[in-house]
Amino acid sequence: MSDAARSRERPAKILVTKIGFDGHDRGSRIVAAYLRDAGMEVVYTAPWQRIETVVRLALEEDVDVIGVSSLATDHLLMPKLMAALRTAGLGHIKVVVGGIVPPGDEPALTAAGVAKIFHPGSSRDEIVGAVRVLAGQARRESFDRRMA
Amino acid sequence: MNDAPAASSLRLIDGLFAGERRALARAITAVETEGDAGRAILRAIQQRLGRALVVGFTGPPGAGKSTLISAYVGELRRRRRTVAVIAVDPSSPISGGAILGDRIRMSEHDSDDGVFIRSLASRGALGGLTPAAMWATDVADAAGFDVVVLETVGAGQAEVDVAEIAEVPVVVCAPGLGDDIQAIKAGILEIARVLVVNKSDLPLADRTRRQLMSMLELRESGARVPVLAVTATNGEGIAQLADAIESAAQATTAQTRMERSRRHVRRLLADAAARFVRDHLIARDDPAFDQLCQSVAQGGIDVLTAAERLLEK
Amino acid sequence: MSDHKAGSGFAQALDAWSRAYETHLPTNRAIRNRSGIEAKPLYTPQDWSHDRYMRDLGFPGDLPMTRGIYPTMHRGRTWTQRQLIGLGTPEEHNVRVRRLLDAGATAISLIPCNSIYRGYDVDEVDPELLGTCGVTVNTVEDMEICFKDIDIGRISTAVNDPSPFTLLALLLAVAHRRGVPWDRVTGTSNQSDYVSHFIANHMFFRLALPGARRVLIDHIAFADQRLPGWNPLSVVGQHMQQAGATPAEAMALTLCTAIQYADDCMARGLAPDRILPRFTFFFDVSISFFEEVAKFRAGRRLWQRIARERFGATDPRAWRFKFHAQTSGVDLTRQQPLNNISRVTVQAMAGIFGGLQSLHTDSYDEVLSTPTEKAARIAIATQTILREEAHLTDVIDPLGGSFYVETLTSEMEAKMEDVIARIDAAGGMYRAAETGLVQAMIGTSALAFQERVESGEETIVGVNAYRSEDDDLEVDWLERPDRKAIEEQIARVKRFKAERSQAQVAAALGDLARAANGSNENIFARSVDAAIAGVTHGEICACLRRELGFGQPLVVP
Repeated sequence: MSDAARSRERPAKILVTKIGFDGHDRGSRIVAAYLRDAGMEVVYTAPWQRIETVVRLALEEDVDVIGVSSLATDHLLMPKLMAALRTAGLGHIKVVVGGIVPPGDEPALTAAGVAKIFHPGSSRDEIVGAVRVLAGQARRESFDRRMA
Repeated sequence: MNDAPAASSLRLIDGLFAGERRALARAITAVETEGDAGRAILRAIQQRLGRALVVGFTGPPGAGKSTLISAYVGELRRRRRTVAVIAVDPSSPISGGAILGDRIRMSEHDSDDGVFIRSLASRGALGGLTPAAMWATDVADAAGFDVVVLETVGAGQAEVDVAEIAEVPVVVCAPGLGDDIQAIKAGILEIARVLVVNKSDLPLADRTRRQLMSMLELRESGARVPVLAVTATNGEGIAQLADAIESAAQATTAQTRMERSRRHVRRLLADAAARFVRDHLIARDDPAFDQLCQSVAQGGIDVLTAAERLLEK
Repeated sequence: MSDHKAGSGFAQALDAWSRAYETHLPTNRAIRNRSGIEAKPLYTPQDWSHDRYMRDLGFPGDLPMTRGIYPTMHRGRTWTQRQLIGLGTPEEHNVRVRRLLDAGATAISLIPCNSIYRGYDVDEVDPELLGTCGVTVNTVEDMEICFKDIDIGRISTAVNDPSPFTLLALLLAVAHRRGVPWDRVTGTSNQSDYVSHFIANHMFFRLALPGARRVLIDHIAFADQRLPGWNPLSVVGQHMQQAGATPAEAMALTLCTAIQYADDCMARGLAPDRILPRFTFFFDVSISFFEEVAKFRAGRRLWQRIARERFGATDPRAWRFKFHAQTSGVDLTRQQPLNNISRVTVQAMAGIFGGLQSLHTDSYDEVLSTPTEKAARIAIATQTILREEAHLTDVIDPLGGSFYVETLTSEMEAKMEDVIARIDAAGGMYRAAETGLVQAMIGTSALAFQERVESGEETIVGVNAYRSEDDDLEVDWLERPDRKAIEEQIARVKRFKAERSQAQVAAALGDLARAANGSNENIFARSVDAAIAGVTHGEICACLRRELGFGQPLVVP
């Protein structure tokens, strides 16, 4: 039997977290519930996580996607997070940001490697669909890396 | 005999035994997915099992297990032991997804390199522990941690499974959880080697403690099971808990350990085989099988005899 | 069927209308408001009749307070227009405040930078995060600059810092330096409600619950003794409603918090008649218009009962439910943002008809970032238009006596009483917050509301309906303060720390730590002494964090 045939598909594993100053977690809790209802496994953290901690959690939990909930100035820290993930060898993980990101700041996030930005008003289907696709991509890239 | 593992699997195994965090994380994923890498790991770790003290924490929801484990881990760290925690949360039976929220309560250890925490979903294991949780515990053992803590909700078969894997099963209760002791089935009391009443700052804690002790009297060798009152949130009683677990571990003779180990492997193998057979049969598309099913439905043959016949084939 | 004094033929006419209604609209889907209360198509004297006037309404300023807490309400004194401003360095802040004061404002709000909310000094955080959402004030020198050429004794300052109230400590230090007696310092500690921060996980720094509890009562006791013009307590319903609590829940939970604080004050020997008059409240006003009006009227009615029956307060000032309302940002959208002006107008109207004492109207672009001046002007004009063009304040409690509004007020009150009973049964608000009960309740409501949005049951124009392809976003980016000015600010703070008397600072911090570890001294008093001795905001927070522990979020996933 091929490896693929013998393997069991693991559900998409997502880390939902908040970095920076803000603490409002209404949105991230709702998104976590959406993802769970869509069959994904969600590791959920308290707000105010340090970047090192997010990297560590992503590593220990071997997640496919990190969802960062951001308000006010938090998104300004995204480039730092992306760099830290790459340094830790976790560049295959797809990172999305949800919350309030002024349009003028978006290019910087995309340039840093953020895969998608969800603005307020994004629908459940939009978020779940995008995360599912990204989780699949992350999984494949992780596999490719290992085989290399 | 298996084929030789792929180079990538070997690298992973090397990293695991060298204590690399990333390798441990990926090794757990590998055994979760059961592919070639996972199988290679399961084989490679066998000779390295038994070094870690495996402690299982179970009990009804709301007992404060995660907070208690966090406090226990803190105490272990003060005693300079390295700890891996496998925290199992229930998967939704409807969607198959899960919120893995146990480790939130253990966040005080997030920057301690001597602690490793991994969350797993129960993935539809019919009230019991998934093989993945059991294997993850073994992988962490083989990775060289002094103590491996397994946490699970005491529902269905889970607590019995915990006793199979963990050298020291600890059952955690809290006062005022609905029917108090009714919430704790007799089965749990049979397998517990340490009983904990958490949130002992609450008024009914003492009553819960006494109830547990009187229930233990009915059990053979129950007198040797300590019932501890702790308050995880402020650390009261945690040092005593660690001592009690240590004592229970030391009281386990080498022979008991070997027996448990042998039972453990038999059980793992039987479970894995049963699961394969079950999955295979349910998915099976075979006229002979269908006919057998029909026969059972019509009362031509009873289901038990039919099952034996299947296995004979 | 009792006589509703509605006139003869009432019953038949009602019957006839019901039949006509059903004929034209046979499928009757239940319509519920956010608190879960069903709205019938029509309300009549059968639902509420005027023979209940004295029992349910009374007169403004008199029990049961439903119609308002003062006899004159907005006719006598219009609500305080206290808009939030705060940006950049102390110098920039000072310029803005003086402009506002010149334009006639008598009250200001001091909004600190997010770094301060989190308990840090400017030299402890990433520089790019500084000054974008509020003013950076860390030292008594910074506070001096904020209030340069401003007479502290003549204006009212609402300070938005949470426990341990370092900004007030710095303000008092400045007053001390200038020889302004503390009994002339007026204002409010706007974010003193640690329970709401803990529950709703705002960004505020907070100590572990037991420590936060102690610091608040110390703060209230200090104000009781030394700051007769200062409101040390603002009980905040806004955070919980923004986190997803229904309007009825938000009001009820806020009342429960107030009950808890009043209990804690009494345990400290502060009698209800003395301390309850110092309780002020702060609420969100959502766009669910009638529900919000009913919410505030029910809240007023409940509070006087709580004050009198639970706490035995006999001074009428203790019975008055004073509240500030802010239009709810949660209802505003990023899509088609100018629609937010309409939304804020309706929200403001609800607050006005609800009988508020103070109002903040959001700017339409508040969802995107700190508001532009143009948008802030429109927000203020909205209030002026409602007052002076629409004449909404000419009549006190104009919706009073409406069959619907009175019925709804009573129904909201009943829902609130249920929640209060639940919290009582759980041992009070402190215990309920500690165990996560409140968080779970709010999380459930938040999810339920989101489901209704997702299913289309709740319409949000521009978001799940009536979408438009060309959504105009007028604000491009986060308004950033001048980088150079921020760098100078950081340098100034560093210099201040280096040049002050280290011995004095060490002694003051030692005193503060000792007070925290003991139980005889007032922690806030020691904080003020520390501020006077040159200790910074971040240092006070760090010291208390060390001694009393940090309030880890209790996340209920």
